[in-house]
Amino acid sequence: MNTSSNGYVLGFAVTVCVIMSAALAVTANSLKETQQAAAEFDRQKNVMMAAGLVGDGDTRTRPELEKLYQERIREVVVDTKTGQVLGDKAPKDVAGMNKIAAQEEKKLAAAEKRAVDKASENRYRSVAIGKADDGKTTFILPISGKGLWSTIYGYLALGEDAATVRGVTFYKHGETPGLGGECENPQWCAKWQGKSILTEAGALYGIEVKKGNVDPSVAVEKRHKVDGLSGATITSNGITKFVKDDLKAFGSYLASVRK
Amino acid sequence: MTATATPPAKAKGGLFGPDEIKAIKAPLWDNNPIALQILGICSALAVTTRLDKALVMGLGVTFVTALANLIISSIRNFIPNKIRIIVQLVVVSGVVIVFDQILKAYMFDLSKQLSVFVGLIITNCIVMGRLEAYAMGNKPWRSFLDGIGNGLGYMWILAIVGAVREVFGSGKLLGAQVIPASLYEAGYVNNGLMVLAPGAFILLGIIVWVQRSISGYSEK
Repeated sequence: MNTSSNGYVLGFAVTVCVIMSAALAVTANSLKETQQAAAEFDRQKNVMMAAGLVGDGDTRTRPELEKLYQERIREVVVDTKTGQVLGDKAPKDVAGMNKIAAQEEKKLAAAEKRAVDKASENRYRSVAIGKADDGKTTFILPISGKGLWSTIYGYLALGEDAATVRGVTFYKHGETPGLGGECENPQWCAKWQGKSILTEAGALYGIEVKKGNVDPSVAVEKRHKVDGLSGATITSNGITKFVKDDLKAFGSYLASVRK
Repeated sequence: MTATATPPAKAKGGLFGPDEIKAIKAPLWDNNPIALQILGICSALAVTTRLDKALVMGLGVTFVTALANLIISSIRNFIPNKIRIIVQLVVVSGVVIVFDQILKAYMFDLSKQLSVFVGLIITNCIVMGRLEAYAMGNKPWRSFLDGIGNGLGYMWILAIVGAVREVFGSGKLLGAQVIPASLYEAGYVNNGLMVLAPGAFILLGIIVWVQRSISGYSEK
């Protein structure tokens, strides 16, 4: 057979591509469930890491950690508009509820001739309430927002006063490894501990990722700021922004648990 | 011959004749891809901060070179010469994606830490090099062994670099503390150079030097 004729080359290329894509589709599909389970476990582990239940390089096995999660963490759905906990809803309902809320808001906005309130797309959020190793309650809030390349997902754990940071983790992102990707570095995340999201007067400040290093002699820096990630200014600014936005969204809920 | 699932090897000496042994042994020492051909250096620097990462990466490259060699060698007589490189690339990418998917399913933590480097196996010169130099001209079974040999030749060097970097860079081996706390109290500090890429570069240089002086290889 003439293997250099154009027809053969074209036919060969198409055949190889079709076979390869079929093989990949089969692999991806058959591994999908295991991957989702692994990703869900990773998420649970990050909730516990934010709460300080699991350390970096923890050697406990997966069943042990899953049991710990069952014992210590309770996930509830919060209506961020009212700050109420919806006891009859489960975290898996959140996506559907938000869809409905967004549609309703769209209709309402059209009827009242005003701009659509974007917050309704994320009106319902799940919050994990955990019991830390010292027996105290901790509120673990999901945080997410844009970094440089991607949406960064993480958890911010607040202490009993719902104002002091107990821990933070960032577990899913597409930032540059070694630069923005350093946001998942446990040593950096440890710097968040003990910072406060509220000013002395009780107003929301958030946590600021500073450009450069924090000067502990300046009160406001010591209270609210963490060292920046070098070479990742946009990731750092993004984190500062979405942490504040998310804390604002959870504001009424946090105010209700503070009482 | 009562061979099981392995492709029939018609060469003299059966499944493990002298040629087959040579295919698997040469890349381990005499023709090592890293020490002698200086291939695959980029990933060798990037993934060797810890031994487990180095081992998984080595396994990945072994898996990819072996399978890609096998597939390409089986269809080598049908591949049109004009598009052979791109066909090799398609096969390599496919096998790499399969490996990445398996990692994501069963070793989620490690796959997160290896991040882009698993995908970058596609561009590892060892893989393409073996396909062009070996699989295109040899029978499937022997190519498969050659792939395994090259993967392992890459892996053992990575493992040494990874082990040294982990012990001296963070005082651990496979995540377990090996340098006793008493030594730290006596003023010992981890070597920061080992955690960074230049440390790996220096180590790799030393390994290449030692390997070459033992095996008596010279550039000329």
